[in-house]
Amino acid sequence: MNTRFKCPPLPRLALLLLGAAVCAAAAAIARADDSSFAAVATLSNANGEDIYSRICQGCHMPHGEGAVGAGHYPKLAGDPALVSWQFVALTVLSGRNDMPAFGAALGQVWDGPTVHLSDAQVADVVNYLRSHFGNNYKDRVTASQVEKLPHPVIAGAP
Amino acid sequence: MDSIADSSSLSRRQLLRMIGITAGNAAMYQAMSSLGFAAESPYRGPVDLQGTPAGASVLILGAGMAGMTAAYELRNAGYQVQVLEFNGRAGGRNWSLRGGDTYTELGGFTQHCQFDKDLYINPGPWRIPYHHRGMLGYCKRLGVPLEAFVQVNYNAYLHNSQAFGGKPRRYREVKADYQGHVAELLAKATHQSALDASVSKEDQERLLESLRDWGALDRNFAYLAGAASSDRRGYAKEPGGGLTARPVYSEPVALGDLLDSKLWLNIASGDSYDMQTALFQPVGGMGRVGEAFGRELGPLIRYNARVIDIHQDGQGVSATYEDTGKPGSRLTARANWCLCTIPLSILSQIPMNVGPAMAAAIAAVPYASAVKVGLQFKRRFWEEDDHIYGGITYTDLPIANIGYPNTGYHSAGKGVLLGAYIWGLHAMEFTSMTPEERVQKAVDYGSQIHPQYRSEFDNGVAVAWHRSPFTMGCYGMWSSDTRARHYDDLCQIDQRILLAGEHASFIGGWQEGAVTSSLDAIQRLHQRVVAQGSKA
Repeated sequence: MNTRFKCPPLPRLALLLLGAAVCAAAAAIARADDSSFAAVATLSNANGEDIYSRICQGCHMPHGEGAVGAGHYPKLAGDPALVSWQFVALTVLSGRNDMPAFGAALGQVWDGPTVHLSDAQVADVVNYLRSHFGNNYKDRVTASQVEKLPHPVIAGAP
Repeated sequence: MDSIADSSSLSRRQLLRMIGITAGNAAMYQAMSSLGFAAESPYRGPVDLQGTPAGASVLILGAGMAGMTAAYELRNAGYQVQVLEFNGRAGGRNWSLRGGDTYTELGGFTQHCQFDKDLYINPGPWRIPYHHRGMLGYCKRLGVPLEAFVQVNYNAYLHNSQAFGGKPRRYREVKADYQGHVAELLAKATHQSALDASVSKEDQERLLESLRDWGALDRNFAYLAGAASSDRRGYAKEPGGGLTARPVYSEPVALGDLLDSKLWLNIASGDSYDMQTALFQPVGGMGRVGEAFGRELGPLIRYNARVIDIHQDGQGVSATYEDTGKPGSRLTARANWCLCTIPLSILSQIPMNVGPAMAAAIAAVPYASAVKVGLQFKRRFWEEDDHIYGGITYTDLPIANIGYPNTGYHSAGKGVLLGAYIWGLHAMEFTSMTPEERVQKAVDYGSQIHPQYRSEFDNGVAVAWHRSPFTMGCYGMWSSDTRARHYDDLCQIDQRILLAGEHASFIGGWQEGAVTSSLDAIQRLHQRVVAQGSKA
């Protein structure tokens, strides 16, 4: 818990993200190549499903069921707040409470590594959330709609 | 790989580029300092709280380093103290996972640690720098013995999967070669009068002398295979005794290969203020500190208490909590004042009637993602085969670090190492996996550095901090902007409530931040209590 900035820049991995969600099958887990991993250089190829299964589900859980401990992670399955795509997109862009922002421009200074998603990716993951886990909203968000939303500015000059 | 084999052909531009690497680091350190990194602990010895009014009471939320520091000092100063803790143990992120321990993360994934007796990993903090005087002071006062934490091991590896055919290099080779080549280049530039404008003739003589010494150059100011360079980077055949005594010098890696390998990224890993020798670890695991605090405070801590609501009024502060052993139960603790050390990740979800400034600050701090994986092997092959005794290997693979145990050297039987220590995007990806998948991935990646993993792996545990039920993240991430707007508001006393923890410090993510923020908070609180007299 103590080496921010002491970490090397994240590696370049040759292989792109696969479209499939993280597979629980033992055979797939055991594979030694990097094909199941994203990286800074390849993250830009990730679609909504990739982003959910590699990033979001760490907290919101594999089926969008959320979790409860000393606090809680919101359940996305059947969450009525998802009726507003703007609410979801703004949350992904700017974060909320302990959730980090994913919409800050690349290269902004932060007290820890940032992860940047493009407007198209934000749109894609919003669409994914609103059409999975029992959610069935028909309207689709586009990158240009996301682009018009306010984006976070994490820091000025340090 | 583009090789600059003939280093005499290096252009001025290339030289400047190399110097730029150093300038870049300096700029980075400056940026880090202004963000609060590399900041020195303000700890100046035990606090002295005099004149506590009779009956004054403080409710402390959280039995981590911040909460227990406060409880210890306030109790000693005569306060009535009660601590509520979510976990069934003291320490919070100060924690060691040992054989026989069970850990259930959010999502219900349960791990049973199967390490052998006395083997452990520290899922959270694992080192205490010599200048973290608050932490060291409490270790001393609580009787927690320390041993050396090896930050830089010259025989550990630097590894880049894209360089040298994926073969790791020893740290000593990379450091010696980088230093040797830079020294040779600067000597060359000096001899070619390239530095005449900025360095006087007399100083150029001294510079050359120092470069020869610093870079292990030969008498012609060249960095070549020979006695001087092998004395730094090691030998092709080690010197010894008797008829097999004669050493064979090793061949330095060419500058171009070294630069392309990016292995220089971690040469300075032990130079930053936080990582400089000496560093320490508690004997038996970092968790020994929290355990010692817990023993010291005894019945003052109420465990398995999940805080649900915090409410202050004109006379005091009440916390409503659930006994997690009795779901649905509602209990109340009350005191004149409240020191809340609950991580902001969780506090931001707990109703608490503080003013808008503190509330905005609590909501402004996202939490970093971090993952650690502990792996038990059937034998200590890193010592037996690779001659690595403690320290850290750095790699560009998603596992980022391999940390070797800084204790129990030469022990027979099994050994546990830290098989991954990950931040950022890869930490999020590891978090998204099941614990078993994380362990398997750590074994897969680590076997690219230590092939022995394949045959020697025994079992493992993996902790992803965003799945931790008691923190929901690793540490609070500030930016210069959010610090400017919210930090003071976070730390001010709001009527009868004040906060402490690493999140309320400029040593974020370090235990020293928790300790010093706690001491700062209770001293301000004490001043106010004394000023208000027994009515407090």
